[in-house]
Amino acid sequence: MRIKKYDFNYGRRMLMEKAAKGVSTAGVLAPLWPMIGNAADTSKAYPDELLSISVFTKGKIKPGDVISAANVDAVKDLFDPITYIQIKNQGRKINVVESTKDVSKLFPNQYLKATLKNQGTAKFDDTGNIIGKDGGPWNGGNPFPEPKNGLEAISNLTLAWGRHSYSQYAIRDWDIAPDGSEAYKYDFVWCEMNTTARADGTIYNGKKDLLRYQSVFFTSPSETAGSSFLNTWYYDQRKFPDLYGYLPAFRRVRQFPTNQRFEPLVPGITLFLSDAWAAGDPMLTWGNYKIVGRQPMMGCISGINFRGGYHPNYERTVHGGPKGTTFFDTWFELIPECIVLEAEPTGYPRSPVGKKRIWIDARNGMFVAYITYDRRGEIWKSFEPAFAQYSNDKMTIKDADGFPDWSWVYVHSHDLQANRMSRFSQVREVTGGYKSKFSEQGEDVYSKYLTTQAIARLGTG
Amino acid sequence: MSNSSRIPGIKIIVAAAMALASGVVFAQDGGGEGGGSTNVDGSSSNGSGMFADFDISWGGFIRPELAISLGSENPNNQRGNTFNGVPTARMPGVPQPVDALGGLLPPFSIPNPLLADNVTRPVNPANNFFNLNLLRIELEGAMKFTPSLKLVARLRSIVDPGNYSSFDPVSVANAATGSIQGGDPGLYGGAPNYFQYSVEGMKRPNPLEAAGPNYLVYFPALFLDYQEGPLNVRVGNQQIAWGQAIFFRVLDVVDGIDFRRHSILDNAQEEFSDKRVPSLGVRVNYQFTDEILADAFVQKFQPTIYGNPNTQYNVIPTQFTVHDQYADYDTKLSYGIRFKGNFGQWGAQAIFVSRLNPDGVFRWTASGVNKNLPNNNALGLAVNALNNGITPNPLTGQIGTSGEILAQTPFEASPGGVYSAKEWFTYAASVRLDGVGGLNAAINEFAPSTNSLLASPVDNYTAASRELDTFFIAAGDGLRGHIAREYFREYNIGGGVSYVVEGEPGSLLDQLIINLESTYTPDRRFTNPTLSRDYIKEGNLVSALVMEKYQRFSNTIPATYMVLQYMHRTKDDLFGRSLKGYGGSVDKAATGVNGGSDYVVFAMQQPFPQAIWRIDFAGLYDVRGGLLLQPGLRWKPNGSITADIFYSYINGSITGGNPNNNALSTAAFADEITFRVGYQF
Repeated sequence: MRIKKYDFNYGRRMLMEKAAKGVSTAGVLAPLWPMIGNAADTSKAYPDELLSISVFTKGKIKPGDVISAANVDAVKDLFDPITYIQIKNQGRKINVVESTKDVSKLFPNQYLKATLKNQGTAKFDDTGNIIGKDGGPWNGGNPFPEPKNGLEAISNLTLAWGRHSYSQYAIRDWDIAPDGSEAYKYDFVWCEMNTTARADGTIYNGKKDLLRYQSVFFTSPSETAGSSFLNTWYYDQRKFPDLYGYLPAFRRVRQFPTNQRFEPLVPGITLFLSDAWAAGDPMLTWGNYKIVGRQPMMGCISGINFRGGYHPNYERTVHGGPKGTTFFDTWFELIPECIVLEAEPTGYPRSPVGKKRIWIDARNGMFVAYITYDRRGEIWKSFEPAFAQYSNDKMTIKDADGFPDWSWVYVHSHDLQANRMSRFSQVREVTGGYKSKFSEQGEDVYSKYLTTQAIARLGTG
Repeated sequence: MSNSSRIPGIKIIVAAAMALASGVVFAQDGGGEGGGSTNVDGSSSNGSGMFADFDISWGGFIRPELAISLGSENPNNQRGNTFNGVPTARMPGVPQPVDALGGLLPPFSIPNPLLADNVTRPVNPANNFFNLNLLRIELEGAMKFTPSLKLVARLRSIVDPGNYSSFDPVSVANAATGSIQGGDPGLYGGAPNYFQYSVEGMKRPNPLEAAGPNYLVYFPALFLDYQEGPLNVRVGNQQIAWGQAIFFRVLDVVDGIDFRRHSILDNAQEEFSDKRVPSLGVRVNYQFTDEILADAFVQKFQPTIYGNPNTQYNVIPTQFTVHDQYADYDTKLSYGIRFKGNFGQWGAQAIFVSRLNPDGVFRWTASGVNKNLPNNNALGLAVNALNNGITPNPLTGQIGTSGEILAQTPFEASPGGVYSAKEWFTYAASVRLDGVGGLNAAINEFAPSTNSLLASPVDNYTAASRELDTFFIAAGDGLRGHIAREYFREYNIGGGVSYVVEGEPGSLLDQLIINLESTYTPDRRFTNPTLSRDYIKEGNLVSALVMEKYQRFSNTIPATYMVLQYMHRTKDDLFGRSLKGYGGSVDKAATGVNGGSDYVVFAMQQPFPQAIWRIDFAGLYDVRGGLLLQPGLRWKPNGSITADIFYSYINGSITGGNPNNNALSTAAFADEITFRVGYQF
């Protein structure tokens, strides 16, 4: 049993002080990253109140409880404003679990090792882009494990979205109408391959001038199936990606303008390209990054959220909303320290988004909540991710080195103003037989999914 | 596609059969507790058996499609003929079979008022409410055998019950000239045949198509797809589309167009999505680098398919009988290669194609219809007397009846043809033919049979008009013309460059994509406006400048997608017709136009939040005075339902000039509003 040496609000007070003073070190009682590097118990970096929801709420809420409209006010400040509205007014319920204290469960193993290995070597060059120790592209892992400013914080999100050199997400999406009905359902596959900033330290195929290839192709329903898009991201974060698309009506690959990143991809969906990973645009096309606070937060990062073994396709049960189908069932925990980052779309003067606010887990640099505001300053959309180590009591998915792998498991994308919800679940397999995976596994994924030829073929063009 | 693997029974049976056949045993690991990299299903991607990745997926939709006519009847059809019910004066002339006066009085220069009359085309005009009324069902499926090999299939079924006021050939049959003969009775002898593509000498010109008068079932796609690294090979029935320009076909030269169903009047922004004629072939793609892609094909030649006689969007006047000679070209191949490169802001592509021009070319052909001229008029009596089948024709020495002689000319003495010179010139002009030259070619190229009938070439409109009226009167009920359709090999050499402008963020120029494409075809064969077998042969250059842009005009509604395109063609029009056939009218033969043809397209899409509603607009302007406007609205209230409505407005003479000087007047009858409601399953 730990001895309580600090008063109840010590942790929160210290986080506020850190934010006010611009202190970047993660941890309250002690710096976090040396503990991670020494494989020490990182729980010593935070006081009990920031690692235990029971302590934090003075017993009002504890692991095993369900947060609902009846008790959410006790933890209102631990949710982003849209999640709070969902719980308070729309019938959402959230299961509570113990906080994760083993930080290695918050990363893919290779990515954590790269972060530690390359710690302290990242710099910005004259153009505002990140260079690694040899002056070339970043060498892998989080470039700024303890970000001192907003640009460093967004770098951790932008350079390696999925924390793997290659990720392939089989995604099933349900789009919920304001009346609570499941109005649209799409299957699609999202592939992302870094050419630089790879955790394995390599540069793919000599492509130093690129950051990543990313494709998305729809496989269901038939009207949408075959719609495929390929984004080629430049390493220079001032430049828009190249965008090529295959639309079934055109029967061929055509180049598309790429600067409109705030549009729905298909009818009924609330996701914009700009929303991906809370960093869907090249980071230097946004501006006015600033860290506006540090706080504890409820977030969905526990391994229990991986549904392997519970559903053959890892799909999730639902609840809430007018017809009981609006929200995935989920398990949240108290995250001791989140960086609150804001940014404005300075490179998109006609963007409908006026500002975004991102809550980033200070331990792994990954976002746990993300809100956009419209040009009037009104709250517009939330993009709530759930991450998990892919290991639960029934199934473990391991990486090439035998460590449990890690990825996102679901996203709630909620347009509050239109009251439309898109629920994305990373599933085992979608229509067409495409499966999720987190490495190339010896497959020529570049040729299969990430060339203009590939998107024509995937579009059956 | 939906419903992937949702038919586990089939999947298991087929997979098991394959496993047994290959001697490979496979299983899917469920636990994934061991080491080694795994998919998130816990199974290895590489390895648990040759058919571990076997998968079947399928889906489809059903969609009624209605188009309500807001224009006039199709003038190319019997019941839309603009001369129906209109008394039309005919003034015959005096034949000059022997030039006894040394050219002082050319043939038919002397009118013959004694035999002048008025004729009324005896077809009851129609007034259809619907231009289109069909049901479409499409199924798509894919069967993945291995990560590298899959079968892709798309099956399209269309039923048109034919609920139109259609032409019945029996309605024009009479004792003097009988009924329409010649050509395929399935096209010309009965009710309209909405779907069967008929060619002479073969039953199934499209190998993977089953069609009847009221239904069409075919595979727009049925091919095996094999991918290994940068190599992709497709074998089977497939469509191939090239180029960045939409609707304007510059580099998109591989496949012909299927004008059945809704012709070119579907939603313009869907381009030719259900129009390209699929073809059996092999397509090979090789991605050399990120930037460079090579794409080659060899295909069985399949022609463009035009609407059948008396169907809603038919473009070949039904006074003609068409003899499609595709059977002679059925074994021909088209082939080509394209290189495409993308280099940041710049892109480039180049093509070379050797193909038979799928549009084909038309010429006069012998009708083969042995039917005498009627004896119910003086001219008919005279011609029959000259060609009595017993004694040689004193002018040519031919022995035969007038029917036997006519069978050797492009004409048939039957109802439902051309009844007057005015009709002849009107229709010649509307399909961009030369009314005088056409008459002369028919006479000269089918001599001496035409001479046996007292026909002579003429050199001016007036004489041609009198000669035509002479023979229409002699035929009792007018004459039907017979034309053959042939195909010729040509070489298409094309290229294109594109550039993405990087401007001030949010400005109109930022992310503007500019694309320039050109294709040159040396020695392209065009239908001669005279319908001579001596086809026009000249080089044709087709170029298009395309500019595309997304622009946000408002914070509250999504960006507007806009396309502006300009096309120039040096020798032909948008539909591939020689410009030498332009400029005709009821009063004059075609004069041709110089300077090529020019078209401008502006199209836009404006989605609304969540893209549930979308406004579409497309406009096509022929700078010589034609205009097509197509505003539309699309509604997708949920995943199953998609509803479309669009209005097609076509003005063939917006500047008030000769409508036969622009391409769009050909479809000017087809003002309409189209409704489509699709249900996906």
